[in-house]
Amino acid sequence: MALLEVENLEIAVAGQSEWLPVVEDCSFSVDNNQTLGIVGESGCGKSLTAMAIMGLLEQSQVNITNGKIWLDGENLLDMSAGDRRRIMGDTMSMIFQEPMTSLNPVYRIGDQIVEALRQHRKMTSAEYRTRALQLLEMVNIPDFQQRINSYPHQLSGGQRQRVMIAMALSCDPKLLIADEPTTALDVTVQNEVLELMLDLQRRTGTAIILISHDMGVIAQTCDEVAVMYRGRIIESSTTAGLFANVLHPYTRGLLNSIPAIDSETEWLDAIPGRVPMLEEKLSGCAFHPRCSYSQPKCADTLPAALSIGESHLVRCHFAGELEL
Amino acid sequence: MIDAIKNRAISIRRVFAGRKVAALGAIWLCIVLVAAVFAPWVAPFDPLEIDPVARLTEPGAPYLFGTDHFGRDTFSRALHGARMAILIGVGSVLIALILGGLVGMLSAYFTKLGHVLMRAVDVLMAFPALLLALVLMTLLERSVANTIIVIGLVYAATTSRILFGMTLKLKNDVFIDAARCSGAGHFSLLFRHILPNLLSPLLVQATFIFAFAQLQAAALDFLGLGLPPEVPSWGNMLSEERIYITRAPWLLLFPGLLIIFSVFSVNLVGDAMRDSLDPRFKDDIAGV
Repeated sequence: MALLEVENLEIAVAGQSEWLPVVEDCSFSVDNNQTLGIVGESGCGKSLTAMAIMGLLEQSQVNITNGKIWLDGENLLDMSAGDRRRIMGDTMSMIFQEPMTSLNPVYRIGDQIVEALRQHRKMTSAEYRTRALQLLEMVNIPDFQQRINSYPHQLSGGQRQRVMIAMALSCDPKLLIADEPTTALDVTVQNEVLELMLDLQRRTGTAIILISHDMGVIAQTCDEVAVMYRGRIIESSTTAGLFANVLHPYTRGLLNSIPAIDSETEWLDAIPGRVPMLEEKLSGCAFHPRCSYSQPKCADTLPAALSIGESHLVRCHFAGELEL
Repeated sequence: MIDAIKNRAISIRRVFAGRKVAALGAIWLCIVLVAAVFAPWVAPFDPLEIDPVARLTEPGAPYLFGTDHFGRDTFSRALHGARMAILIGVGSVLIALILGGLVGMLSAYFTKLGHVLMRAVDVLMAFPALLLALVLMTLLERSVANTIIVIGLVYAATTSRILFGMTLKLKNDVFIDAARCSGAGHFSLLFRHILPNLLSPLLVQATFIFAFAQLQAAALDFLGLGLPPEVPSWGNMLSEERIYITRAPWLLLFPGLLIIFSVFSVNLVGDAMRDSLDPRFKDDIAGV
């Protein structure tokens, strides 16, 4: 069994009169030393999936209606809140999208980094301090001996994200969930932060779930990819396998919307339309209104997950038949 | 140790650097505090000693601020009044902040509890502060402790409203999610992650309440519902001597000025502290 296995996860949010499903039938797994990328447009359920694993969903607004999340052989959804807290920050931790707001403005970063350690390991304050210095050095904060006394607002965005990474890694988690860790950063810093995460993975063997809407980031960092569209994983494979053989029109659309440095095209191929609203009821394949290969069948029946080749899953009636 | 003292001195200098009026306010408050602590030893006369021969003496040689219609020394009474001012200020601030803070934070954090508690607060807020204090005081005996409790309660309502709003915003901030991710429980989230972010509004609120408690206490005394009449307080002095305003205006001038200066000073110092203590208002780099 892999370190983390998500089985048929189903999440619903409170609509005006009923619960609206936002994530449906979502299954994937990650093992030590592995990086899984989850890609998709905004609003397709990536972050909710991450928060469900982490245990951050607000019960009154969002509900996990079905499924199992196995971490190290234990079902997280069966655990009591207290047991859950013992795992949060220790066995698994999370990096957020907004480095500007994800640090507590009133604490010095040195105190903040070891927050999880304080919750999970008893140490003397000198030991916490040593560990904080060690972590800051590990994430390449320049001048870390002085920086340990800085407040978050005195750091740049990239430095704050490094601090967040240091914080997430303080207890040597087995699983690290990074929810768009580089979206708010500029491209050069983005690269450094990604390299840092991969480098740490090589050293500690942490499993990483990287959530992004940037195919470039995914291609650069992940071993496996899951493409999500409107709450379902519509295609998943190893990164190499996916880029070599794209089977779903949506994945092709995402890839086509990346500008290539060597092509002369003036217009990028954008996917027409937008992700349908939650209230809109869709029959059949959720992508059919936007799909240029759409057939009557697509609007009628939901495509089952087809297994093509080794570990390549796709939800499309015409997988393999289309010239993408 | 010496370093710690030096750091403290620097931070005090930083609070008042470029804020001369606030520094004056701080000096004034220090004087009031010293007067309050040492009143029994500094006061030239017993504040309760009656001397019918010397009634309504003008300010001058033995009687610095003159005497009232019982011949009691106004200066000595003012010094003892400072005691009451500080006691009422500190007491009601503590009650208002602790009670109001808890109600506000818990209401915002636990939504269902909030529905109940905040409606109760709404009821309290429907009454003007002074009216509410008056109603509560008529139900209770006139005493120092009751005055403090009533004023504290009245301002606990406003405090809880303010902290409710701020906690509501803070608890949805990403860094609170980040703290939850590190395994923090409800207690730790509330008091270690949310509360420190509320310190600067709490501080402002404290100075505001301290100032208003002075006014409120003076108003209650003036209306004869605050401290017992024999207790020398600035409000009681105003209340007792108001009929002599034409014959002996100094009897009202001095306690009136004392109230005004103290209220002003507290507000000025509070603003200065807020601007400089919150790390977000600081523009310097740590370690410099």
